Amino acid sequence: MSLENYSDQTLVAICSNLAKACEKQTRSEQASLLKEVESFFQKRVKADEKKDLTSMIEDDLTDGYEKVWALGEKQKERGVLRCVTWGKKVTAIQKSVLSRYEKQGASLLEDNNLFVCDACGFIAIGKDFPVVCPICKAPTSRFVKY
Amino acid sequence: MHAVRNLALCTKDCICLFVCPTGATNTETGQIDFEKCLDGCRLCIDACPSNALYLSYDNYPETKAKDKKLVASLEKLLESKATQEVVSKNLDNDKLIKAFVHSNRVLAEDCAREAAYMLPQSNLSKEFLKLLLDKYKDDDFPKEAVEKLLKLL
Repeated sequence: MSLENYSDQTLVAICSNLAKACEKQTRSEQASLLKEVESFFQKRVKADEKKDLTSMIEDDLTDGYEKVWALGEKQKERGVLRCVTWGKKVTAIQKSVLSRYEKQGASLLEDNNLFVCDACGFIAIGKDFPVVCPICKAPTSRFVKY
Repeated sequence: MHAVRNLALCTKDCICLFVCPTGATNTETGQIDFEKCLDGCRLCIDACPSNALYLSYDNYPETKAKDKKLVASLEKLLESKATQEVVSKNLDNDKLIKAFVHSNRVLAEDCAREAAYMLPQSNLSKEFLKLLLDKYKDDDFPKEAVEKLLKLL
Protein backbone atom coordinates (compact mmCIF):
# COMPACT_ATOMS: atom_id res chain seq x y z
CA MET A 1 0.00 0.00 0.00
CA SER A 2 1.30 3.46 -0.83
CA LEU A 3 -0.19 6.89 -0.24
CA GLU A 4 1.80 8.42 -3.08
CA ASN A 5 -1.00 8.24 -5.62
CA TYR A 6 -3.69 9.56 -3.31
CA SER A 7 -4.72 13.17 -3.84
CA ASP A 8 -6.05 15.17 -0.90
CA GLN A 9 -9.65 14.74 -2.13
CA THR A 10 -9.14 10.97 -2.39
CA LEU A 11 -7.93 10.95 1.21
CA VAL A 12 -11.07 12.93 2.16
CA ALA A 13 -13.25 10.23 0.57
CA ILE A 14 -11.37 7.36 2.28
CA CYS A 15 -11.65 9.05 5.68
CA SER A 16 -15.31 9.99 5.25
CA ASN A 17 -16.08 6.40 4.23
CA LEU A 18 -14.32 4.99 7.31
CA ALA A 19 -16.10 7.57 9.51
CA LYS A 20 -19.48 6.48 8.10
CA ALA A 21 -18.58 2.84 8.77
CA CYS A 22 -17.83 3.73 12.41
CA GLU A 23 -21.16 5.56 12.71
CA LYS A 24 -22.98 2.49 11.36
CA GLN A 25 -21.22 0.47 14.04
CA THR A 26 -22.40 3.10 16.61
CA ARG A 27 -18.77 3.88 17.40
CA SER A 28 -19.17 7.66 17.63
CA GLU A 29 -15.76 8.44 19.14
CA GLN A 30 -13.94 6.68 16.29
CA ALA A 31 -16.26 8.39 13.80
CA SER A 32 -15.42 11.89 15.08
CA LEU A 33 -11.68 11.15 15.16
CA LEU A 34 -11.85 10.09 11.52
CA LYS A 35 -13.80 13.24 10.68
CA GLU A 36 -10.94 15.27 12.20
CA VAL A 37 -8.54 13.60 9.79
CA GLU A 38 -11.01 14.18 6.95
CA SER A 39 -11.14 17.93 7.79
CA PHE A 40 -7.35 18.16 7.68
CA PHE A 41 -7.31 16.90 4.10
CA GLN A 42 -10.44 18.85 3.06
CA LYS A 43 -8.69 22.12 3.98
CA ARG A 44 -5.79 21.22 1.68
CA VAL A 45 -7.98 20.55 -1.37
CA LYS A 46 -7.58 23.20 -4.07
CA ALA A 47 -10.32 24.20 -6.50
CA ASP A 48 -9.97 22.72 -9.98
CA GLU A 49 -10.79 25.16 -12.75
CA LYS A 50 -9.40 23.25 -15.69
CA LYS A 51 -11.06 19.85 -15.86
CA ASP A 52 -14.37 19.16 -17.57
CA LEU A 53 -17.02 17.08 -15.82
CA THR A 54 -18.64 15.76 -18.99
CA SER A 55 -15.41 14.34 -20.40
CA MET A 56 -14.42 12.81 -17.06
CA ILE A 57 -17.83 11.11 -16.93
CA GLU A 58 -17.32 9.82 -20.46
CA ASP A 59 -13.87 8.44 -19.55
CA ASP A 60 -15.33 6.61 -16.56
CA LEU A 61 -18.08 5.07 -18.69
CA THR A 62 -15.90 4.01 -21.61
CA ASP A 63 -12.68 3.17 -19.78
CA GLY A 64 -12.56 3.40 -15.97
CA TYR A 65 -15.54 1.20 -15.14
CA GLU A 66 -14.76 -1.20 -17.99
CA LYS A 67 -11.30 -1.91 -16.60
CA VAL A 68 -12.61 -2.50 -13.08
CA TRP A 69 -15.34 -4.81 -14.43
CA ALA A 70 -12.87 -6.93 -16.42
CA LEU A 71 -10.51 -7.35 -13.47
CA GLY A 72 -13.40 -7.89 -11.06
CA GLU A 73 -14.78 -10.69 -13.24
CA LYS A 74 -11.36 -12.29 -13.56
CA GLN A 75 -10.92 -12.27 -9.77
CA LYS A 76 -14.55 -13.27 -9.13
CA GLU A 77 -15.03 -10.30 -6.79
CA ARG A 78 -18.81 -9.92 -6.66
CA GLY A 79 -18.76 -6.80 -4.50
CA VAL A 80 -16.62 -5.10 -7.13
CA LEU A 81 -19.08 -6.13 -9.86
CA ARG A 82 -21.90 -4.66 -7.77
CA CYS A 83 -19.92 -1.42 -7.41
CA VAL A 84 -19.48 -1.21 -11.20
CA THR A 85 -23.13 -2.10 -11.93
CA TRP A 86 -24.46 0.67 -9.71
CA GLY A 87 -21.63 3.10 -10.42
CA LYS A 88 -21.98 2.92 -14.21
CA LYS A 89 -25.75 3.46 -14.01
CA VAL A 90 -25.38 6.41 -11.63
CA THR A 91 -22.64 7.93 -13.80
CA ALA A 92 -24.87 7.56 -16.88
CA ILE A 93 -27.66 9.35 -14.99
CA GLN A 94 -25.21 12.15 -14.08
CA LYS A 95 -24.46 12.48 -17.82
CA SER A 96 -28.17 12.78 -18.66
CA VAL A 97 -28.83 15.31 -15.87
CA LEU A 98 -26.04 17.53 -17.16
CA SER A 99 -27.33 17.15 -20.70
CA ARG A 100 -30.89 18.08 -19.69
CA TYR A 101 -29.61 21.08 -17.75
CA GLU A 102 -27.58 22.19 -20.74
CA LYS A 103 -30.69 22.11 -22.95
CA GLN A 104 -33.28 23.49 -20.50
CA GLY A 105 -31.14 25.74 -18.35
CA ALA A 106 -32.11 27.09 -14.96
CA SER A 107 -35.87 26.56 -15.51
CA LEU A 108 -35.32 22.79 -15.12
CA LEU A 109 -34.33 23.34 -11.51
CA GLU A 110 -36.65 26.22 -10.67
CA ASP A 111 -39.70 23.93 -10.88
CA ASN A 112 -37.97 20.79 -9.63
CA ASN A 113 -35.75 19.54 -6.86
CA LEU A 114 -32.80 17.18 -7.04
CA PHE A 115 -32.89 14.07 -4.88
CA VAL A 116 -29.66 12.14 -4.26
CA CYS A 117 -29.63 8.55 -2.99
CA ASP A 118 -27.15 8.41 -0.14
CA ALA A 119 -26.59 4.69 -0.72
CA CYS A 120 -25.54 4.75 -4.39
CA GLY A 121 -25.37 8.38 -5.58
CA PHE A 122 -28.34 8.22 -7.97
CA ILE A 123 -29.71 11.68 -8.83
CA ALA A 124 -33.45 12.14 -9.45
CA ILE A 125 -35.08 15.31 -10.81
CA GLY A 126 -38.63 15.83 -9.62
CA LYS A 127 -41.05 17.37 -7.17
CA ASP A 128 -41.33 14.61 -4.57
CA PHE A 129 -38.97 12.17 -2.89
CA PRO A 130 -38.61 8.96 -4.91
CA VAL A 131 -40.41 6.06 -3.22
CA VAL A 132 -37.49 3.72 -3.88
CA CYS A 133 -34.12 4.10 -5.60
CA PRO A 134 -34.32 2.58 -9.09
CA ILE A 135 -30.61 1.71 -9.01
CA CYS A 136 -29.99 0.20 -5.58
CA LYS A 137 -33.56 -0.19 -4.20
CA ALA A 138 -32.82 1.90 -1.11
CA PRO A 139 -36.01 3.24 0.53
CA THR A 140 -37.17 6.86 0.38
CA SER A 141 -35.55 7.60 3.76
CA ARG A 142 -32.09 7.32 2.14
CA PHE A 143 -32.68 10.26 -0.21
CA VAL A 144 -31.50 13.82 0.39
CA LYS A 145 -33.34 16.74 -1.20
CA TYR A 146 -31.59 19.72 -2.82
CA MET B 1 -20.88 -7.04 21.48
CA HIS B 2 -23.97 -5.08 22.46
CA ALA B 3 -27.53 -4.41 21.34
CA VAL B 4 -28.45 -1.26 19.43
CA ARG B 5 -31.91 0.21 18.98
CA ASN B 6 -32.95 1.55 15.57
CA LEU B 7 -35.22 4.39 16.65
CA ALA B 8 -36.76 4.69 13.19
CA LEU B 9 -38.21 1.17 13.61
CA CYS B 10 -39.06 1.32 17.34
CA THR B 11 -42.83 1.26 17.89
CA LYS B 12 -42.61 1.68 21.70
CA ASP B 13 -44.04 -1.72 22.54
CA CYS B 14 -41.45 -1.83 25.37
CA ILE B 15 -41.05 -5.60 25.52
CA CYS B 16 -37.26 -4.98 25.51
CA LEU B 17 -37.65 -3.10 28.78
CA PHE B 18 -39.41 -6.08 30.36
CA VAL B 19 -36.84 -8.70 29.29
CA CYS B 20 -33.50 -6.94 29.81
CA PRO B 21 -31.61 -8.48 32.77
CA THR B 22 -29.55 -5.33 33.44
CA GLY B 23 -31.89 -2.46 32.50
CA ALA B 24 -29.58 -1.52 29.62
CA THR B 25 -32.53 -0.99 27.29
CA ASN B 26 -34.13 1.61 29.56
CA THR B 27 -32.32 4.94 29.18
CA GLU B 28 -33.19 8.63 28.91
CA THR B 29 -31.64 8.85 25.42
CA GLY B 30 -33.68 6.07 23.84
CA GLN B 31 -30.48 4.22 22.93
CA ILE B 32 -29.16 1.11 24.69
CA ASP B 33 -26.58 1.61 27.46
CA PHE B 34 -23.68 -0.18 25.75
CA GLU B 35 -21.76 -0.54 29.01
CA LYS B 36 -24.63 -2.24 30.87
CA CYS B 37 -25.56 -4.47 27.92
CA LEU B 38 -24.51 -8.10 28.42
CA ASP B 39 -22.26 -9.69 25.82
CA GLY B 40 -24.93 -10.95 23.39
CA CYS B 41 -27.72 -12.34 25.58
CA ARG B 42 -30.05 -11.45 22.67
CA LEU B 43 -33.19 -11.31 24.84
CA CYS B 44 -34.29 -7.84 23.67
CA ILE B 45 -33.42 -8.58 20.04
CA ASP B 46 -35.49 -11.76 20.01
CA ALA B 47 -38.37 -10.19 21.97
CA CYS B 48 -38.89 -7.06 19.89
CA PRO B 49 -42.09 -7.37 17.80
CA SER B 50 -40.84 -4.72 15.33
CA ASN B 51 -37.27 -6.05 14.88
CA ALA B 52 -35.99 -2.64 15.97
CA LEU B 53 -33.00 -4.04 17.89
CA TYR B 54 -29.83 -5.55 16.47
CA LEU B 55 -26.45 -6.75 17.64
CA SER B 56 -23.25 -4.71 17.19
CA TYR B 57 -20.05 -6.77 17.13
CA ASP B 58 -16.58 -5.91 18.46
CA ASN B 59 -14.64 -8.52 16.50
CA TYR B 60 -14.75 -8.88 12.76
CA PRO B 61 -13.25 -11.45 10.37
CA GLU B 62 -9.94 -10.44 8.80
CA THR B 63 -10.20 -8.61 5.47
CA LYS B 64 -8.22 -10.22 2.66
CA ALA B 65 -6.40 -7.81 0.35
CA LYS B 66 -7.66 -7.93 -3.24
CA ASP B 67 -5.58 -8.51 -6.38
CA LYS B 68 -3.11 -5.64 -6.93
CA LYS B 69 -4.21 -4.81 -10.50
CA LEU B 70 -7.85 -4.76 -9.42
CA VAL B 71 -7.06 -2.48 -6.48
CA ALA B 72 -5.08 -0.17 -8.78
CA SER B 73 -8.03 0.09 -11.19
CA LEU B 74 -10.40 0.87 -8.30
CA GLU B 75 -7.99 3.49 -6.96
CA LYS B 76 -7.92 5.14 -10.39
CA LEU B 77 -11.72 5.29 -10.44
CA LEU B 78 -11.72 6.59 -6.86
CA GLU B 79 -9.32 9.33 -7.91
CA SER B 80 -11.56 10.21 -10.87
CA LYS B 81 -14.68 10.50 -8.69
CA ALA B 82 -12.82 12.49 -6.02
CA THR B 83 -11.63 14.94 -8.69
CA GLN B 84 -15.15 15.18 -10.11
CA GLU B 85 -16.44 16.13 -6.67
CA VAL B 86 -14.07 19.13 -6.74
CA VAL B 87 -14.84 20.01 -10.39
CA SER B 88 -18.61 19.85 -9.65
CA LYS B 89 -18.18 23.00 -7.59
CA ASN B 90 -17.69 24.91 -10.88
CA LEU B 91 -21.25 24.15 -12.06
CA ASP B 92 -23.35 27.28 -12.29
CA ASN B 93 -26.39 26.20 -10.28
CA ASP B 94 -26.42 25.78 -6.52
CA LYS B 95 -28.75 22.71 -6.40
CA LEU B 96 -26.73 21.07 -9.16
CA ILE B 97 -23.46 21.64 -7.30
CA LYS B 98 -24.80 20.14 -4.07
CA ALA B 99 -26.30 17.12 -5.84
CA PHE B 100 -23.17 16.38 -7.88
CA VAL B 101 -20.84 16.84 -4.91
CA HIS B 102 -22.96 14.39 -2.90
CA SER B 103 -23.33 11.89 -5.76
CA ASN B 104 -19.59 11.89 -6.55
CA ARG B 105 -18.68 11.52 -2.88
CA VAL B 106 -20.92 8.44 -2.61
CA LEU B 107 -19.40 6.96 -5.79
CA ALA B 108 -15.86 7.64 -4.50
CA GLU B 109 -16.64 6.05 -1.13
CA ASP B 110 -17.95 2.91 -2.85
CA CYS B 111 -14.68 2.59 -4.81
CA ALA B 112 -12.72 3.10 -1.58
CA ARG B 113 -14.71 0.36 0.14
CA GLU B 114 -14.14 -2.15 -2.62
CA ALA B 115 -10.46 -1.23 -3.01
CA ALA B 116 -9.48 -1.83 0.63
CA TYR B 117 -11.23 0.49 3.06
CA MET B 118 -14.46 -1.32 3.93
CA LEU B 119 -13.85 -2.03 7.61
CA PRO B 120 -12.18 0.49 9.94
CA GLN B 121 -10.92 -2.38 12.12
CA SER B 122 -9.17 -4.24 9.27
CA ASN B 123 -5.39 -4.44 8.93
CA LEU B 124 -5.66 -2.58 5.62
CA SER B 125 -7.41 0.41 7.22
CA LYS B 126 -4.98 0.42 10.14
CA GLU B 127 -2.01 0.28 7.78
CA PHE B 128 -3.50 3.26 5.96
CA LEU B 129 -3.65 5.22 9.23
CA LYS B 130 -0.04 4.29 10.10
CA LEU B 131 1.11 5.49 6.67
CA LEU B 132 -0.65 8.81 7.31
CA LEU B 133 1.30 9.22 10.54
CA ASP B 134 4.56 8.53 8.71
CA LYS B 135 3.88 10.85 5.80
CA TYR B 136 2.23 13.92 7.36
CA LYS B 137 4.53 15.61 9.81
CA ASP B 138 2.85 19.07 9.62
CA ASP B 139 1.99 20.76 12.90
CA ASP B 140 -1.70 20.82 12.11
CA PHE B 141 -1.98 17.14 11.16
CA PRO B 142 -4.27 15.54 13.80
CA LYS B 143 -1.57 13.17 15.05
CA GLU B 144 -3.24 12.44 18.41
CA ALA B 145 -6.53 11.60 16.69
CA VAL B 146 -4.83 8.97 14.48
CA GLU B 147 -2.84 7.52 17.40
CA LYS B 148 -6.07 7.23 19.39
CA LEU B 149 -7.83 5.59 16.44
CA LEU B 150 -5.11 2.96 16.17
CA LYS B 151 -5.66 2.12 19.83
CA LEU B 152 -9.47 2.07 19.68
CA LEU B 153 -9.98 0.20 16.41
